[in-house]
Amino acid sequence: MKQMTIISGKGGTGKTTVASNFIKLANDHIAVDCDVDAANLHILLEPKIIKEEEFTGGAIATVTGECINCGKCEEACRFKAISDSETGIKINPIRCEGCGVCVYLCPANALELKPDRQGSSYVSETKFCILVHARLNPGAENSGLLITRIRNTAEDIANDKDLKLIIIDGAPGIGCPVISSLNGVDATLIVTEPTLSAISDFKKVYEVAKIFDIKVFVCVNKFDLNLENTKEIEDFCKSNNIKLIGKILYDDKVSIYLSQKKFIVDCSESEAAIEIKNMWENIKGYLYGR
Amino acid sequence: MIISVASGKGGTGKTTVATALALSVGYCQFMDYDVEAPNSSFFLKPYIKHIQKVTIKQPYFLTETGEDFSKCAEFCNYNALAVLKDDVIFFPELCHGCGGCMLVGPEGAVREKDVEVGEVKKGVTSPNIDYYMGDLKPGSMRTVSVQSALDKAIIPWELVIIDCPPGTSCPMVFSVKDCDYCILVTEPTPYGLNDLKLSIDVLEKMGKPFGVVINRDGIGDDEVEKYCIKNGVKILAKIPNDKEIAKYYSIGESLVEYDKNWKQKFENILEEIEKDLVV
Repeated sequence: MKQMTIISGKGGTGKTTVASNFIKLANDHIAVDCDVDAANLHILLEPKIIKEEEFTGGAIATVTGECINCGKCEEACRFKAISDSETGIKINPIRCEGCGVCVYLCPANALELKPDRQGSSYVSETKFCILVHARLNPGAENSGLLITRIRNTAEDIANDKDLKLIIIDGAPGIGCPVISSLNGVDATLIVTEPTLSAISDFKKVYEVAKIFDIKVFVCVNKFDLNLENTKEIEDFCKSNNIKLIGKILYDDKVSIYLSQKKFIVDCSESEAAIEIKNMWENIKGYLYGR
Repeated sequence: MIISVASGKGGTGKTTVATALALSVGYCQFMDYDVEAPNSSFFLKPYIKHIQKVTIKQPYFLTETGEDFSKCAEFCNYNALAVLKDDVIFFPELCHGCGGCMLVGPEGAVREKDVEVGEVKKGVTSPNIDYYMGDLKPGSMRTVSVQSALDKAIIPWELVIIDCPPGTSCPMVFSVKDCDYCILVTEPTPYGLNDLKLSIDVLEKMGKPFGVVINRDGIGDDEVEKYCIKNGVKILAKIPNDKEIAKYYSIGESLVEYDKNWKQKFENILEEIEKDLVV
């Protein structure tokens, strides 16, 4: 079984658009949406949920007893989640990371760690393949844990049904969710744009992919927006031995297709369709060629 | 007054709006909280005067002492530690640096060292903008630690503009937690609408007032606008879909440089927000 993840560094460069079209083109596969706090893959894939599971990850410190205002917890908390401990006590749930140091130190046993319901994960059927996705509750912290969970679910299903490939739509950024969706995959496609912002973020996320020693492919979306910047991406790829497998033209119609719930690869008039199909053949060749 | 500029979906124009607002008003503290992918410097072109390393404390275990570290592993809520017969395996990427293992472990046998997770850069840019940006080190998961270092620099009685990361999970919530008002930037596509609803949900739960900027107006469909009208969500501005704006963006030129009229429009937006907050 092979796995590939689509990432970008900068958001909005076209990850989900490329991923959803790959999902339509592929065979014997399963899809995972690892952008668990702003998932979009379901919009085109229109999944029917067949299994839902609650996700409880981590915990939050809660005052359950009589605080004696000793101030020990506030002093020890490295996340500055506790304030006013000498007059009352306030725990800021946004800052609390659920480590339990305050609970351990409290001489009055006034604190407890309460498990935090952080979201739900789903297994769904779509027209093309099974989709494993999730919804992280607002502000929840354990996106990495939730991603590991849905990726494990997808691997189990793939093994069970003897599927060949897992296509993973990643999150923007370079942090916890990205690292969790790159861990152990065979290849990654970085979708970037010829803008200074996107190039900077592409280079940062490439650094992360390098740590995992993953085969990296690159695609430049809207490449004609700035040919000089596109050249810079091409040069960077060349000097780092990265395979640039596609360049997609700037095309406002892509948003219209999306609003009409159409896949680009089905729009024969779109030049992007040909490019995405070529990119897919290229990646397929790499994944199955060896 | 702290204004956070956020969005659920990435790439909708947060940085475009945040930097244009800062340049239009001319004076503020500008904070780039999108520490995983900070891009505001391309548009504000600050002169960086100071770079501060952000570190967290991480433990190391003196296994040669022959002490038993199993209490440390039991305590660790992040499973960053596995204790074998005569060795300790530590997973630094899972460690939050809480200090718990040192607290419960054999005295003197758990030590801590500073580990770099990123940087905070401080600078100035004209006309009168104090610039701060966080930059997470690739491979680190401590996004919030870098944001937390930025928190310390905020002077809340000044005008503070925070450029937020995308999404709705902890890094986004951390960036809006102290704001007085949040500008949500979206685009009129099904993805934009889906993620707008998610971020409105977050802000309503947190009790934060907000308004919406529709970027790339004219592309896609009009569902975002319909949604805002139906739900009484204020639309602060619409930025038209225009390849020229995108070209300016690609070389790090601000919206206000592309069209000087936006300066007045953003000043009006700030006035409107101030009025909203008084009521």
